[in-house]
Amino acid sequence: MRPFKYTRATTLPSAIKELSGNAQSRILAGGTNLLDLMKEDVERPEALIDITHLPHSAVKSLSQGAAKSGVLLDALGKNSETANHLLIRSQYPMLSQAILAGASAQIRNMATNGGNLLQRTRCPYFYDVAMPCNKRTPGSGCGALEGFNRMHAVFGWSDKCIAVHPSDMAVALAALDAKVLAQNEAGQQRRLTFDEFFRLPGDAPEKDNNLQHGDLITGIELPASNFADHSYYAKVRDRSSYAFALVSVAAGLQLNGKQISDVRVAMGGVAHKPWRALTAEKMLKGKEATEANFKAAAKAEMAAAKPHEYNKFKIELGERAIALALTNALNYGS
Amino acid sequence: MEANQITGTPLNRIDGLLKVTGKAAYATDYPVKNLAYGYLFKSTVASGTITQIDDAVAKKAPGVITIITHLNAPKLNVKGGLRGGALLQGPEIKFNGQHIGIVVAETFEQARYAARLIKVQYSGDAQAKTDFEKLATQAVPAKEPEVRRGDVDSAMASAAVTVDEVYETPIEHHHPMEPHATIASWEGDKLTLYNSSQIVNGAQTSAAKTLNIAPENVRIITPYIGGGFGSKGGQWANLALAAVAAKMANRPVHLALSRQQMFNSVGLRQHNIQHLKLAATKEGKLLALGHQTTTHTAIDDEYTEPCGDCSKVLYAVPNALINYKVVPMNIIMPTYTRGPGKSTGSFALESAMDELAFKLQMDPIALRLANEPAQDPTTGKPWSSRKLVECLKEGAKAFGWHKRNPQPGKNIQGDYLIGHGVACGSYPARQRDSSAVIKLTNDNGKVQATVELAAADLGTGTYTILAQTAADGLGLPVAQVQIKIGDSDLPPAAGSVGSVGATSYANSVNDACSKITTELMMKSGKQFFVRPTAAQLMASERLSSFETRMDAKPLADADNYSAHSFNANFAEVWVNRHTGMVKVKRFLAVTAAGKILNPKTARSQIIGGNVWGIGMALTEESVIDPRWGNFITRSFADYHVPVNLDVGNLEAIFINEDDKHANKLGVKGIGEVGIVGVAGAIANAIFNATGKRVRELPITPDKLI
Ligand SMILES: Cc1cc2nc3c(=O)[nH]c(=O)nc-3n(C[C@H](O)[C@H](O)[C@H](O)COP(=O)(O)OP(=O)(O)OC[C@H]3O[C@@H](n4cnc5c(N)ncnc54)[C@H](O)[C@@H]3O)c2cc1C
Ligand code: SF4
Repeated sequence: MRPFKYTRATTLPSAIKELSGNAQSRILAGGTNLLDLMKEDVERPEALIDITHLPHSAVKSLSQGAAKSGVLLDALGKNSETANHLLIRSQYPMLSQAILAGASAQIRNMATNGGNLLQRTRCPYFYDVAMPCNKRTPGSGCGALEGFNRMHAVFGWSDKCIAVHPSDMAVALAALDAKVLAQNEAGQQRRLTFDEFFRLPGDAPEKDNNLQHGDLITGIELPASNFADHSYYAKVRDRSSYAFALVSVAAGLQLNGKQISDVRVAMGGVAHKPWRALTAEKMLKGKEATEANFKAAAKAEMAAAKPHEYNKFKIELGERAIALALTNALNYGS
Repeated sequence: MEANQITGTPLNRIDGLLKVTGKAAYATDYPVKNLAYGYLFKSTVASGTITQIDDAVAKKAPGVITIITHLNAPKLNVKGGLRGGALLQGPEIKFNGQHIGIVVAETFEQARYAARLIKVQYSGDAQAKTDFEKLATQAVPAKEPEVRRGDVDSAMASAAVTVDEVYETPIEHHHPMEPHATIASWEGDKLTLYNSSQIVNGAQTSAAKTLNIAPENVRIITPYIGGGFGSKGGQWANLALAAVAAKMANRPVHLALSRQQMFNSVGLRQHNIQHLKLAATKEGKLLALGHQTTTHTAIDDEYTEPCGDCSKVLYAVPNALINYKVVPMNIIMPTYTRGPGKSTGSFALESAMDELAFKLQMDPIALRLANEPAQDPTTGKPWSSRKLVECLKEGAKAFGWHKRNPQPGKNIQGDYLIGHGVACGSYPARQRDSSAVIKLTNDNGKVQATVELAAADLGTGTYTILAQTAADGLGLPVAQVQIKIGDSDLPPAAGSVGSVGATSYANSVNDACSKITTELMMKSGKQFFVRPTAAQLMASERLSSFETRMDAKPLADADNYSAHSFNANFAEVWVNRHTGMVKVKRFLAVTAAGKILNPKTARSQIIGGNVWGIGMALTEESVIDPRWGNFITRSFADYHVPVNLDVGNLEAIFINEDDKHANKLGVKGIGEVGIVGVAGAIANAIFNATGKRVRELPITPDKLI
């Protein structure tokens, strides 16, 4: 890796200040993605600002009084601690499942909630500096478009980039309508919806999201959930653990008797961002929670998919995964 | 000598404590003083010529000692026995990832950083051969000998039932836990190479020849090895380049490959397209077997995995054609990879047998039993011993085969389709020349032995089985036997390759024990009614020390027999009917491999092979992008080995076998047979579970939905 300057931040504002002062600096959180990319010469920061010693790792209830309310995940909370936290397990089981479906126990023990959202794509052309890749080197071309694109996007891609976002956690967060809290040098706090936070590649695939350099993620806010009784995270992968999703689905149902009063479906492994399956959601709202309806909604959602040479299977697999996640959400706990 | 019989007992590895406490020194663990670090850099094109190397900036980078490329590298002997070329002898590029230089620096990080500052230009070669799917049609007959008897095509034309299918297996990598690693250190003309080597003397001679120096000036030290699986059998360019770097830096140099570099530095298991033909009578008697393998090799050297080997020995069949076609490509040279040819070849053969059984509506075990050959069907030689029938029968009983539903897709539990499959395998049993020295000492009646030979322990238990063999052979407790191996200064020994290690080493130690006992008896000048042990003689004759050397050879008539280990593998798979994800719930390998020297280390060998076989069946695949000839799978995040959750309960059973012909000890070798037949058993179980016949490995979820 290239030589770099290492600083250990003492406070969040000082970390932000340091970060803003140098366009080539990066935040070091768990380091499970950033350090790998540096060893591969993909990321070449001049300075690392280590924030792991800052005391921002809590999982806090936002409730005031008895009313059901949301939860705040501090950015430096570890993935494993978040997944195993009682509040998360009881109120947001799909989030707990999604985190635990990702990476390995050792990596989850290091990985932070903020870092997880900002992990970069696993596209192999992105990782190999000898290959063309618009995300790594804008203008160099997309190696995957005409290449080995089995793991790549079927929704929302552009000719410039067909990569997928690799996070499992982010898929559940998208389904839960979570918001990303970001702070900048001026001390401004922004609260971004997932739609505002993540991007499709368009003409600028080098940008994974809409943060500006100097923005620090301080936390993730989860609104009160009505899906705890009926939710499920389904992940289909090439081996039973420690593999990125071919397709994954976070599903939540809110039921009124047999009727679906509210529903959330988000997909991983299919787009440059966690993909909210809005077509499926719309179709299901107000309908009866039956397997036939789940399948029809899944089919409708995947009808818009545009696959590449090696990932045509994701259409059928996506349909199956949506139906499976919804069925398992329906039967959750029973 | 039968008296204590430590051989055959499940003794714990005698080197186990050293390993789990981190005290066992692997190649680059040696505390060599004044060490510098090398980092290899590699071509990013598959073919062409280097036109320019700009290392001006790199030379000035912090810590850099020297940069070596073809422009300043010494002349080496490219035919010295190192595999795969890439010795920095010229500007020609033969594959993507070919070594094109080394940076030597004070630290590893500095060397790697400087390597990235080097700019290389190539004149491209539009003719780069990188697309196997396209080039396969241009393959020509390979050097691997053909087997031909009778006429397969006429038998196919007239037979009651036939199978005629193509099976495909992808590129796989060895990926031992310890990547290839060397410390090279010169003292005058003398070169010491601390290097991970499966064949100690082979590494010595190939390094010496390549470097154009005398073998006695090269010493290989490799007491512990973190796996090899064939990739550390024949050595690769990195061994000689470490020595070159040390010479040019005038310092000892540490040169280790990164995991990424392991993909294109040390060979691979090649991509095979296997065309199988089977013809049989209505009763299931085989009439014909055709097995044609089409594969790729290096652009300037040939190696083909012998995929037809199991087809040569497993079944009695009057008409057979087993042959190979190969196409040279701009991809690194393929090489021996655990169970070379047999693991991938048995997948094709045993899948085809399962397809045949299904067409015949016959039990797959019954089909195999109906075609058991009385002698080797290819050579006509008698078997040294063969207990495949026992493997199948005992396995069926232990596995509960009779409970299997022969109709595919009918065994459903909740979300899962359950299936059971069987497949057989074989691996040749051979003994190679191997020497050993035994040194006995007697300290006031306490007799101790040191056994010395240039053997290699890949982590499999060589130390332990040799200590057991020597303890029995000398009449000593294991604790009084010291094993010294992994050093080319010791007596020359066979290598730990091709499942010859245990057989050759153990026979040489056993022979050396007999020899030293006989010599001690003669020295005593006494007559004995009962043959005493060497330990007893040392004590009774009050000798303070005594030693002998044995140069052991295979049995004189070993070649008159066909000697193989055999196995029968049984798999139970659970296939998720929504997602296509497969779990191997249980796997049973029943192996007949002659005398088992240590059931515990033997079991580890077998289940280790099984796990890799599960990887072959379900997860492992390397992909090359034909536009550049580079690996798209380039880390363990993309190249999937199975994880614990993929692997259910593994059980290994050994069939008792007393082989009098293979070698004196009746040991047949188990290093490779454990992976043979595994992928076939799993693919057959998946067919039984789902009704889907997948002929292309690995069987990932997308192939089952
Ligand atoms: C082999 C392997 C397998 C994996 N498998 C999976 C999987 O199956 N599913 C899955 O979801 N993930 C998987 N992961 C990825 C893992 O989840 C991420 O690496 C991890 O979540 C990143 O968190 P981190 O804290 O280590 O981030 P870091 O590596 O420290 O940082 C990542 C990026 O975020 C930036 N950053 C970090 N924190 C902040 C902050 N608070 N504000 C602003 N910027 C910040 C850093 O500068 C950097 O650019 C895998 C990783 C590996 C190595
Ligand atoms: S898909 Fe995106 S990340 Fe992958 S090569 Fe193309 S531009 Fe790069």
